[in-house]
Amino acid sequence: MRHHVTCICVLSSVLSVLGISCAKKADTGADPQVTSLGSVEVTAELLEIPGEIRNDPMYDYAHVMKYKVLTVHRGSVDTDVIYVGQYNPAKSRAAAADARAGDIGGNLQQFRVGDIHRLALEVPIDDYYMGGIINKYFGQTEDPVYWALWTNLVVQ
Amino acid sequence: MVKKQAFLLLAVVGSLLSTSAAFAAEGEPVLQLAREVRTKGWIVYAARSAENKTWDLYLMRPDGSQRRNITNTPDYEEGGPRFSNDGERLLYRRFPKGTTIHHDLWGFQGRLVIAAADGSNPVEVGGDKEFPWASWSPDGKQIACLTMKGIQIVDLETKAVVRKLPRKGTYQQLFWSPDGQWFCGVANARIMWTVVRMHAETGKLNIVQEFQSCTPDWCPDSQHIIYPSRPAGQKGYGFTQLWMSEGEGKNPQMIYGEDGYHIYGGALSPDGQYVLFTRCGEDGGGSERDGAPICVMRMADAPAVAGPSPDLRRVHPHANEPTVLQLVEGWEPCWTYTEIGVK
Repeated sequence: MRHHVTCICVLSSVLSVLGISCAKKADTGADPQVTSLGSVEVTAELLEIPGEIRNDPMYDYAHVMKYKVLTVHRGSVDTDVIYVGQYNPAKSRAAAADARAGDIGGNLQQFRVGDIHRLALEVPIDDYYMGGIINKYFGQTEDPVYWALWTNLVVQ
Repeated sequence: MVKKQAFLLLAVVGSLLSTSAAFAAEGEPVLQLAREVRTKGWIVYAARSAENKTWDLYLMRPDGSQRRNITNTPDYEEGGPRFSNDGERLLYRRFPKGTTIHHDLWGFQGRLVIAAADGSNPVEVGGDKEFPWASWSPDGKQIACLTMKGIQIVDLETKAVVRKLPRKGTYQQLFWSPDGQWFCGVANARIMWTVVRMHAETGKLNIVQEFQSCTPDWCPDSQHIIYPSRPAGQKGYGFTQLWMSEGEGKNPQMIYGEDGYHIYGGALSPDGQYVLFTRCGEDGGGSERDGAPICVMRMADAPAVAGPSPDLRRVHPHANEPTVLQLVEGWEPCWTYTEIGVK
């Protein structure tokens, strides 16, 4: 019995150590692009992706998502909640740039509600992007839509 | 027995429907249509050259005769030709050799070129990507361009921007109406892929057709707009049909549809009696590949459904069986009745 308890303790300790070593390293999302591109830089939580993210190879579009602003690093943001157009969000940010939207990128692989992103932004979207926009918030708010230039994942 | 007879009847009907699509360049109704349009001016269009493999511009009679390559540039690709309203000149875009002509971005790509209607004296106007989505003014002295900063009216002689309008969400395929009163284009209005009309002086915008609609063009009366649309409610991805609405967005009417094909390149003859379109097995119109067959149909046949198209016939049970003259493969055709001196 004592031997059994000892084994459990050892195993627990090993798992605990492994757990610590496997945990993602904290990352503020800062890199040379996100800290320099655009006129606004924020850290924000992705609150909502309204509708489904389409993956249509024939057509490109920006999908407007709702974010809660946690920190404003650069520029001026007057509201806690902002609306951000993400270009072809079915793609990883590193693979999203193309002839229509050439200056976008970041290390984010996938958009998930609840994740925290560090974003380099411009506003309003129409001054920086010409293309289809899925905006499920149309008619619900007069707030401007931001254009996401760079999107990095933040790990806390 | 009844079932067997019904099956045979269906088979015969299906066969007749298939035959009546009349896409082979034979059969008296098609020959009659060909004779009817043969002397009605010229069609300009882009197509891949069999000789140099690049996209060149071609002229042909509306029955497909007297076809000739009017650019013949092995070192460039060319596309998007539009006659000026008087039919005396052409504007189009010239791209570096090997460029993939994107069906939604082509107006932003390459350089604007203006030439005589027979392709002679081509002059590059501006640099790469300048004067995007250039469209003729009624008198041909100005062009309207769709830029990120808005709609710009450019004087062709001085190249100066003489007037600006907010683009109000319009993002591609801007065209100036023949009477100069309006623009049409594709915009983010309540939803994306909405065909809109904008007053050329006030900038007031109205929705013409929402949902999966694009590539609009003006009818000669400047009161109607023709556009491809892929309506909701179809099985799976669905197919793009050719539609027309009044400029206010009223009375949308399907012009031509065919299950299995995406219909693009809609353009009317100068008298509005005939319609040009392309029928492509894949969505987008085919500019990324080799284009699609250019077709001519009488507007009197609209609304028309071709081929078996059982799903489409259920939605449009009173549609006509069209006579369709299928011409060569191409992209974005444009029609003038002006005799432009091509021998």
